[in-house]
Amino acid sequence: MKSPLRLGALTAAGAMLLTSCGGIGNENANADGAESAEGLDICYVAAAESHAYASPANAAFQEAAEEQGVNVTLLSQEFDAQTGTDQLRTCIGRNPDGIVLWPVDPQAYIPGLVEAQDAGIPLVLINSPMDDDAEGLYTSFTGPDTYEQGRLAADVLNDELGGEGQIVIIAGQAGNGTTLGRTGGFNDALEEMGSSIEVLQTVNADFDQQRALELSRDLISRYGDDIDGVYANDDTMARGFIDAWTESGRDVEDMPAIVGINGQQDAFESIEAGYYTATIVQSPEEDGRLALETIVAAATGEEVDSRIPIPLTVVTEENVADEEPAF
Amino acid sequence: MNSLKRVFENPAVLTLIHYRVIVILAATLILAVSFVPGLTEFRTLSLSLDRTATLGLVAVGLTVVLLMGKLDLSVGSTLALSGIATIGLQAQLGPTGAALVGLLVGVLAGVLNGFLVVVLQINSLVATLASMIFLRALCHFLTDSNPVSGEDPLFGLTVTRSLGGTFSPRTYVFLIAIVLLFVWLTYTVAGRHLYAVGSNEDSATASGIRSSRYVFGAFVFSGLTAGAAGVMQSLATNTGSPVFGETVALTAIAAVVIGGTRLEGGRGSALGTLGGVLVLAAITTTLEYESVPTYYQNIVTGSILLLLILLDRIASNSPRSALSLTSLLPSRNSERVPTQ
Repeated sequence: MKSPLRLGALTAAGAMLLTSCGGIGNENANADGAESAEGLDICYVAAAESHAYASPANAAFQEAAEEQGVNVTLLSQEFDAQTGTDQLRTCIGRNPDGIVLWPVDPQAYIPGLVEAQDAGIPLVLINSPMDDDAEGLYTSFTGPDTYEQGRLAADVLNDELGGEGQIVIIAGQAGNGTTLGRTGGFNDALEEMGSSIEVLQTVNADFDQQRALELSRDLISRYGDDIDGVYANDDTMARGFIDAWTESGRDVEDMPAIVGINGQQDAFESIEAGYYTATIVQSPEEDGRLALETIVAAATGEEVDSRIPIPLTVVTEENVADEEPAF
Repeated sequence: MNSLKRVFENPAVLTLIHYRVIVILAATLILAVSFVPGLTEFRTLSLSLDRTATLGLVAVGLTVVLLMGKLDLSVGSTLALSGIATIGLQAQLGPTGAALVGLLVGVLAGVLNGFLVVVLQINSLVATLASMIFLRALCHFLTDSNPVSGEDPLFGLTVTRSLGGTFSPRTYVFLIAIVLLFVWLTYTVAGRHLYAVGSNEDSATASGIRSSRYVFGAFVFSGLTAGAAGVMQSLATNTGSPVFGETVALTAIAAVVIGGTRLEGGRGSALGTLGGVLVLAAITTTLEYESVPTYYQNIVTGSILLLLILLDRIASNSPRSALSLTSLLPSRNSERVPTQ
C-alpha cells in the first residue's frame, strides 16, 4: 500500500508543478519524508447537502480542513449513486491529492475506485461501507460499523422484549450500504442468539421521517397492538413511527419497545420521557473530522489503517443522563 | 413597453435571439473555462464529455419524441431496467448477450409506450407516467430492491476509459448518435415527415403520411436510446440498480428544450440538443468545481430554461424569425449607416 501512496503524492506534486495551480507552500517535504498538509487539494463526494446527518458531517469535514489549510472541493450526489459515480470520475480527472467518497451504493463505485488507484490517488470511504469486492481498492474506510450497530440494536431490543415478541423493521433506502449493514446485522444477531422474536414486516422508509410516518400508519392499522417492538434504521424514522402511534389515538404509555440509531437529540428526550428503549450514538462531527484527518494522513504519505471505526455508544434509560446526543 | 419592443425588433438582438442556443452555450463555456482551471486540457474535457454521454443519449431519443409533440417520462425507468438486464443476465448470456438483451428491453419499453399512445390513444404524458411507475416497480421487483453487480468489475472500464487518449467509447456513441440524428432529421424524407407530423398530425395524415407509425417509431427510438444509455451506465458502474436514472428524464427534457425543441412539436434539431446537453454539462462542471451546492445549480438551470422559452416566444412571434444569419447581416449593416 505504501509505494502506490508515495507514487500518488509524487504524481500529484508533479502535476501541480506542471499546471502551476497549487497553493502556496505545497508539498513541503520535511525531514521524515512526511509532507505538510497545508495546501493539499481534497475532492469530497458527499452523500447529500441538506440532511440531518450528512450536513453536520460535511460541516465538520470542512471545518477540520480549514484548520489544516486543506482545500476541499465538495460535490454532492444527493443520494444518487449514478451522479456519484460520475462525480468520482470528475474528481479523479482533477488529479487531487486525495479523494473522500461517501458511497450510497455498495458496488457502483468499484470501477471508479480502480481508476483512482491506477492514478495513484489515495481514497478514503466515509460513513458507509462497500461490498467485499471493493476491499483493497481504497486506502481506508472511516465511519461507523453499521453491521455492528445492527447487532447492538438486536441485543438491546431482545433484552427489552425478553427474547420474544413481534416486531416491525423500518429500514432506510433499499440497496443502501448503511441499510444493508444495519438491517443485516440486526437479523443475523437475532438468529445467532436464537431469539424467538418474529419480524412481522420490513419496510423501506428511505431515512425520511414523513415516509416513515406514512408507512407506520399502514403498519399500525395492519398489526395494531400486535406490535411489541420497532427497530428503525435511524432515529428520524423512529420518530415517524411514534407520531403515527399517537396519531392513531393510542397512548404513549402503550408504545412498543423502540430502538433507533444515530443518537439524535429528540431520541434522547424520548428516552428520558420513558417511551423510547434505546438509540446508538454515532457522531456526524466525528465522522466528518475522522475522514478528513485520515485522507490528510494518507495524502502526506503516512501509513493508515484500512478500517478506522468511530466509537459507538448504546444509550438507554440507564445512561441517558451521562451521554451527549450526537446532533 | 414600446422601447422594449424596439429592442426586440433590433436586428442585432434578433440575431442573438435566433441563435440563442449558441449564445447561451458560448456564455456557459466561457464561464466554465474561466472558472475551472485545466478544463481546456484534453483529459478534463474528455472526462466532462464522458459524464454527459448517458444524459446525452437519453436526450437524443427524447428529441424525436418532443418533435412529435409528445412526452416520454419513462426513459429513466427504462434506463434502470436495461441496466439490470445487462448486469443480471451476464452469468447466463455472457456480457455481450446480456448487453443486447439490455437494448432489447429498451426497445420493448418503447413498444409499450407506442402501444399506449398510438393504439390506445392515451395522452403521452399520462401513458409514459404510467409506464414510468410500472417499469420502476418492475426494477424493484426483479432485484428485490437491491442493486445487482456483475462478475468482473473491470469489464466496464472499457466503456469509460478513453480510446487511445481521445474520448471514451460511450462519448463516441453519444456523438455518433447526434450525427446520425442530424442526418436523419435534415437529409432524409422520413426526417422531414417527422417535422410534418409534429407540426400537425391530422394534416400530415391528410397529405398521405402515416402519422401514427411515425409516433410509434419515435417512442421505440426513445426506448432504444434510453436502453443504450442504461447498458453503458450499468457497464460503467458494473451495477444494475433499481434506483438508477430517477432524475434523468426531467434533466434530459430540460436539455432538449434548452436546445430549442418545442414541447408543442414540429420544431427542434439534433445540434440544438447537443447544445442543450453541453450547456447543462458546462453549468454542472463549473458549479461543482466551485463547490456550489446542487440547489444553486438547479436555480441556474431553471432560470436558463425559462429565459430560453421566453426568447423562443419572441423569436417565433417575430417576422424575422425565419431569416438566417446571412440574410440578417446585410440588413444590420444598412441600418447602421443612418446612425453614423
